[in-house]
Amino acid sequence: MADIERDPMEAQVDAWMQQFARLDDRPRSLPDASTLWVRATLLQSVVTAERANRPITNAQIGAYLVVAAGWAALLMWKWNALATWLRGFTPTHIILGAAGAEAATSLSLTFVLILIVLASVTVMLAFHTILAEE
Amino acid sequence: MTADGTVLLLPFAPRATTARRTPKRPMDEAKFEAFYRKTAGSIWSYIFRMTGDAAAADDLLQKTFFRFLRAQPEIANDDHLRHYVFKTATNLVFDHFREGKRDREHAIEALPSAEYHPERRELRHDMMRVFAELKPQERALLWLAHVEGCSHDEIADAVGVRSKSVRVILFRARKHLAELLTRKGLAPEPRHG
Repeated sequence: MADIERDPMEAQVDAWMQQFARLDDRPRSLPDASTLWVRATLLQSVVTAERANRPITNAQIGAYLVVAAGWAALLMWKWNALATWLRGFTPTHIILGAAGAEAATSLSLTFVLILIVLASVTVMLAFHTILAEE
Repeated sequence: MTADGTVLLLPFAPRATTARRTPKRPMDEAKFEAFYRKTAGSIWSYIFRMTGDAAAADDLLQKTFFRFLRAQPEIANDDHLRHYVFKTATNLVFDHFREGKRDREHAIEALPSAEYHPERRELRHDMMRVFAELKPQERALLWLAHVEGCSHDEIADAVGVRSKSVRVILFRARKHLAELLTRKGLAPEPRHG
């Protein structure tokens, strides 16, 4: 760097920058290199684990959607029968039913089976989510 | 390439390089520590001068080295690694400004004080204020050119401008700083010879 060839403005700025750079304003020690190394290694492990878990997470989200769609379809398919069945839980209907005054609304065996399967899948999914989080 | 003829690489084996013919030796912890000891102080000072905020400088310094360790740059020597770290730090500082995390006025008021040297504190305060009036890009260019002694190509790479533009931007930055110094009566006597 030949100061002689510099224009005065550049020399002035250079002198000021050198003075500015010499200011000692580091108040405390810098982060420890080995700590940074360990943290970077851990961070990398977390990133790798997340990358590895991504397909599982996607499958889990897919399963939630399938189960939700299953419940929605089931409710829409047999909504009238379900509504009647639910209405049967009022005290009046229970008494009338016990007296044999009202014929019980029957739900098909297929429906009951689907209901059981869907409920089982929902419970399994819930358990899986809880255990995976733990 | 280091003295023992190995290429410095960082700890996590890069996918892109696994198929290469030359076997690469990753940078181990000891090499990283040595490199960090040589570089971290300068990087901290650079980030601190750019942001005027000691806490941000600590934070960005750590982020810089995290990125450095994660990126695993295939760089032949320590000078290039150092340049790579400055480039990363510059990007992080610019991101920091873009995210609007800074509060320069507050930061400058909260500068770590040289309790026993009030005159030095005042000088530092004035210098930081002057430097803070420059645009971030101007600050980066001036620091890299005058303090780190980077070439125009290196500055262009670090700051993300074309190499040909560096001369012009640097000239404007010098002019801007010289005007500020003159206006505030802080201009030093230029060194001759």
